[in-house]
Amino acid sequence: MTGPFEVSQAVSLGLAVVFGLFFGLSLERGGLGNPHKLTGVFYLRDFTVPKVMFTGIVVACVGLYLLSDLHLLDMERVFIIPTFFWPQLAGGALFGVGFFISGYCPGTAVVGMASGRLDALLTLVGVGAGSLLFAVLFPYLEGFYLSSDMGAATLPPLAGVNHWVIIVPLVALAGGMFFAMEKYEKKESAR
Amino acid sequence: MQDKRYWSPYIAGAVLGATLLATFYIAGRGLGASGALTLVTAKGTFTIIPEFIGRLKYFAQYTTPRALINWNLFLLIGVFLGSLASAKFTGNFKVLLDRGKSMTVRTRLLSSLTGGMLIGFASRLARGCTSGVALSGSAQLALGGWIFVISMFAAGFILSAVLRRLWS
Repeated sequence: MTGPFEVSQAVSLGLAVVFGLFFGLSLERGGLGNPHKLTGVFYLRDFTVPKVMFTGIVVACVGLYLLSDLHLLDMERVFIIPTFFWPQLAGGALFGVGFFISGYCPGTAVVGMASGRLDALLTLVGVGAGSLLFAVLFPYLEGFYLSSDMGAATLPPLAGVNHWVIIVPLVALAGGMFFAMEKYEKKESAR
Repeated sequence: MQDKRYWSPYIAGAVLGATLLATFYIAGRGLGASGALTLVTAKGTFTIIPEFIGRLKYFAQYTTPRALINWNLFLLIGVFLGSLASAKFTGNFKVLLDRGKSMTVRTRLLSSLTGGMLIGFASRLARGCTSGVALSGSAQLALGGWIFVISMFAAGFILSAVLRRLWS
């Protein structure tokens, strides 16, 4: 059967809750509701964030392109995250600053709150306030927000190569990074 | 050094990746978190101060009568319930104000709020957060996802060098 599937709104929303359950489970069990683990990477102390994140990216990436190659998934009907170069570069940097200061990102703050952390709840209040601030300032930001629109730009066509030419080195790079992190953590804990 | 409170990060990452792959395959879209929080903020403030919020062009898409019937909101409800169940069953649930060793309570209240405001604002500018853009976008090999990931880690590392004491 070729995905994605057309379902009724009720089924679609029900499935969204199920996906969310697994999403929340993986984040909590990975330790990503804990701000000490979330910020550990910036101190080269705890590499949980890159380990969970890049394992997730690699698994989903390989699976996505494999399903597409096997004609089990119609990639044309998958919503590709749009690229707006400068807003995402600036937004990413600002996000990194907020991530380090609060010790959370939006999803992990929900997980932190669900595990009883009041600081996570307060971070979520901040996220709401930040969204409101963005909406208030939107008339001044709109020009920048809509700039450098590259649409559904993905790396393989941009580089002019088959997707596996990107994916195979990416998997190798992630593997090498995990290996280096394990070695570093072992060395640090032995000290 | 495996933290006994949690799973191996590779197992958690594999479950996360499999979940993301399932949403791509079944629903034709990725995961997300910040959009639903913006929706709740817009809807909530619109109920309290409709004149002011109603004038905000950016919030118009979130204040329609049926705006709450939203895929991302249902997803986030699942995230909350899933992580709550996970924390409860594994004995990881504990009500506390979690902070760095050298952080005062006042610093933690301020860092939570200001850090949260920054990520809320940045998520709107980047059209998503770590879930929607960094994780889902990068897995699709979308350029925007990788720009966001690299920029986020670079900024975090630079700031951590300046604010060394915050979480140490």
